[in-house]
Amino acid sequence: MKNTQLLTSLRYVLLGALTVTTSVVQAESIAITNATVYTVAKKGVLSQATVMVDEGKITAVYSNNEVPESLSADTIIDAKGRILTPGFIATYNLLGLIEVGAVSDTHDSSDKKADITFDASLAFNPKSTLIAYARKGGITSSLVMPYGGEDVITGQSFVVNLSGDFDSVIMPKNAVIASLGATEKGSRATKLQTLSNELEDAQKALTKAEKASSKKGKEDEEDEEEKEAKEPSRSELVLNGLLSGEKPLIAYADRATDILALLKLKQKFNLNLVLAGASDAVLISDEIAKANVVVMMSAIDNLPSSFDSLHNSLTNVAKLTDAGVKVIISNSGESYNINQLRFDAGVAVANGLAETSALAAITANVADSFNLNSGRIAVGKNADLVLWSSDPFEISTKVDAMWINGKAMSLKSRQDALRERYTAETDMPRAYTK
Amino acid sequence: MLKTSLPRNLVTSNSKNKLTNKLIRQSISQFISKKTSFTILTTVMLSLGLTACLPNEKQDPKVGINKNPYPSTYQALPAISTLLTNATILTGTGERLNNADILLVNGKVTQVGNDLLAEQATVIDMTGKWITPGIIDVHSHLGVYPNPQVESHSDGNEMTSPNTSEVWAEHSVWPQDPAFQAARAGGITSLQILPGSANLFGGRGVTLRNVPSETMQGMKFAGAPYGLKMACGENPKRVYGSRKVLPSTRMGNVAGYRSAWLAATEYKRAWDKYDSDYSAGKNSEVPKRDLALDTLMGVLDGEILIHNHCYKAEEMAVMIDLGKEFNYHSGTFHHAIEGYKIADLLAANGNCAAMWPDWWGFKMEAFDMVEENVAIVDAVKNSCAVVHSDSATTIQRLNQEAAKVMYRANDNGFALKEEDAIKWITANAAKSLGINDEVGSLEAGKNADVVVWNMNPFSVYAQAEQVFIDGAKVYDRFDEKYQAKSDFLLGQQLDNHVSKVVTQLENNSTTNAATKPANKK
Repeated sequence: MKNTQLLTSLRYVLLGALTVTTSVVQAESIAITNATVYTVAKKGVLSQATVMVDEGKITAVYSNNEVPESLSADTIIDAKGRILTPGFIATYNLLGLIEVGAVSDTHDSSDKKADITFDASLAFNPKSTLIAYARKGGITSSLVMPYGGEDVITGQSFVVNLSGDFDSVIMPKNAVIASLGATEKGSRATKLQTLSNELEDAQKALTKAEKASSKKGKEDEEDEEEKEAKEPSRSELVLNGLLSGEKPLIAYADRATDILALLKLKQKFNLNLVLAGASDAVLISDEIAKANVVVMMSAIDNLPSSFDSLHNSLTNVAKLTDAGVKVIISNSGESYNINQLRFDAGVAVANGLAETSALAAITANVADSFNLNSGRIAVGKNADLVLWSSDPFEISTKVDAMWINGKAMSLKSRQDALRERYTAETDMPRAYTK
Repeated sequence: MLKTSLPRNLVTSNSKNKLTNKLIRQSISQFISKKTSFTILTTVMLSLGLTACLPNEKQDPKVGINKNPYPSTYQALPAISTLLTNATILTGTGERLNNADILLVNGKVTQVGNDLLAEQATVIDMTGKWITPGIIDVHSHLGVYPNPQVESHSDGNEMTSPNTSEVWAEHSVWPQDPAFQAARAGGITSLQILPGSANLFGGRGVTLRNVPSETMQGMKFAGAPYGLKMACGENPKRVYGSRKVLPSTRMGNVAGYRSAWLAATEYKRAWDKYDSDYSAGKNSEVPKRDLALDTLMGVLDGEILIHNHCYKAEEMAVMIDLGKEFNYHSGTFHHAIEGYKIADLLAANGNCAAMWPDWWGFKMEAFDMVEENVAIVDAVKNSCAVVHSDSATTIQRLNQEAAKVMYRANDNGFALKEEDAIKWITANAAKSLGINDEVGSLEAGKNADVVVWNMNPFSVYAQAEQVFIDGAKVYDRFDEKYQAKSDFLLGQQLDNHVSKVVTQLENNSTTNAATKPANKK
């Protein structure tokens, strides 16, 4: 069985098979019984619970005393008391947009020409070797945040699942990314002004268009050509998405003054704001909490890496959470080892964060901030689930099983194939061990 | 007589014409053997620009190379005799002692075992705690690539020539790097600061004690051998290839190493000859000093250890042979991502391999990572597997870096225990740095570098609670008195937030160590 799985994963990874091969069970309906379920939802933590999955969605979550006497499912899995969590959601990485850091041909995350319309999801590679490896850390989906262009607004993020399938992109262009703060050339003030001006111009254009359309309603049809001219540009459409709150604005900023300026912009333009980086957010945690703004930050960056980040600390996630801020624990630019997100959450717990808050910081908080139908174990949610050998944050723990949209995932990566090759008994050169 | 009769300019070396010198030396011995008169000899020597002298002449003062011009001024912090009791102790020698005690006296470990008695010592009950040797990182850039990461302090790599053996990382160390304190809070007691990897020869590394100091010398590990940073692979060929300077290929890399070792071999021969001639009473010409060659000669003399940034199996194999070609040991391979492919070769040749548990992908030479690399290298007899950080972040959790290897390996057929894995960040690291006689394990006579952990250090929740260097407490998680702070952060970092959470943690900690007076048991 083990060998079959390995061969399967080799074929899958090395030959780039288009679909997961038949040895991976693809059940239509699943019952996971006798699990300790961390729902990250109203039901909290349930022991000896059962989760039902059908057609890729969670159809029932039964606590111990609610489990029906007979369960009907194509596959029934006895969790034997092990922990079942929602799949973890990575953020702030370049997954599928980069293969080898020092090989520029394999980079698709930035472009000089990129502007607010930049849609890097078109470049997403679901067959990247980084994805199978990330799954080993219980990651089932990711908010990918490309570098984009050189303007203040660098482009747009997108959301993928980690199935490795060609239809992995769940939400293209789901949020706009802006980059503020310290700059080698020029002043940070210009960046803030540019962002503010662009929003203001878009709002003015919208108001004007609204007036025009209400005027148009009163009068008879205007000249067709003039109407064409008022059609908003692609950039304006994206800005309008920000102004309507439809699209979140993810803004990188570390220094408290930049964050405060962003909070003002949020208030003025009614933005759906998410702060990224936010090293010194802890200085103004009450203001951020009051503004109901989500903070996406590293749990392990604790050094004063710049004059904007003098208050980086291992306790920042806990402090912000205590102050009532919704925090997302992010990978902070890391792409190769995003499977370590669970350890980062563990470090946050060791430094004062409640375990349930840490779990929410890599599941439900991401889903809530970006309107994803995942991150919780609740009826109707995508069946992105992870069964763990023990405490998900512990180093000794491993992923025992994973489902994305109800489909069982391979937990083997290229790294496993290499290990198997170099630990196998053989008299022949290793190249013959496949 | 000869000395005074020879013009000063003739006493300088004439390295451009070694053949002529050789012929001259031969003719001298011929003259001497024939007992030719001094007058004739003097004339011949003057006419040929002769440099060597006769045995019975008056010798100039012996010229030597000061091998320690920037000596350590490190002094252990104030210490008291301490008996730590009832802990789980990982000795670093492969042993785990349960419910055990350790006695620290005069900066040394004097006893490790069960039910120890110590009349004069302060006894601290460590029930529930784990004790390990001080953690050692063989690959760090703290102080030379410090935080904040500003250009003004970016002093880790002299990227102006493929061979900068003349530079010493210690001359770039900024002791106020706040990362030293953060590393101390993670149990780091000794660390090697290396130059970067852009050059074939990056210069000397220095091993430091992780104590706060205003000077580099105040941190310097007295007696620790210097390291020489070498680099294989992509970095040197990229940096210099883009400038159209050798090397632009891996074969260019190796040609660069070989040329340098050739020059070093000549240099060493010149100094050895000077020394032996001088011992023989001759007033020999002093070889011209060359800082770069001083360092390489130190390697050939076995005094400086090689620390070689080298990821790939085939390159490590070449570097091993390069060492044999020029008669030095190829030392420790750093970032040995492909160590697992040649684990037998590394062990057979006595190389340490310093590795990350799981960094990969950022370069082609880092593409073939396996999470069990350290364990596979370690599994061979006489191996020396080390877990290193190369990071101001992960240096703070080297225990967890080792844990990742141990658990992933055990998921895949290994049966490693905590007492095995701790060696990768203590005893084996000390061996790599040539300081294993003093540190790296908890045995009687070793320096009292000790970390007390709140729990099994291979847990993600583990915290170093107390750290001792040479028996002196240098860090205490629950006592601000033992939490040093960099000048840089003083007066501009607001503390109130930090202390709040730590106080909470302290209140929550039911197993906080209680200090009580002596005469236990």
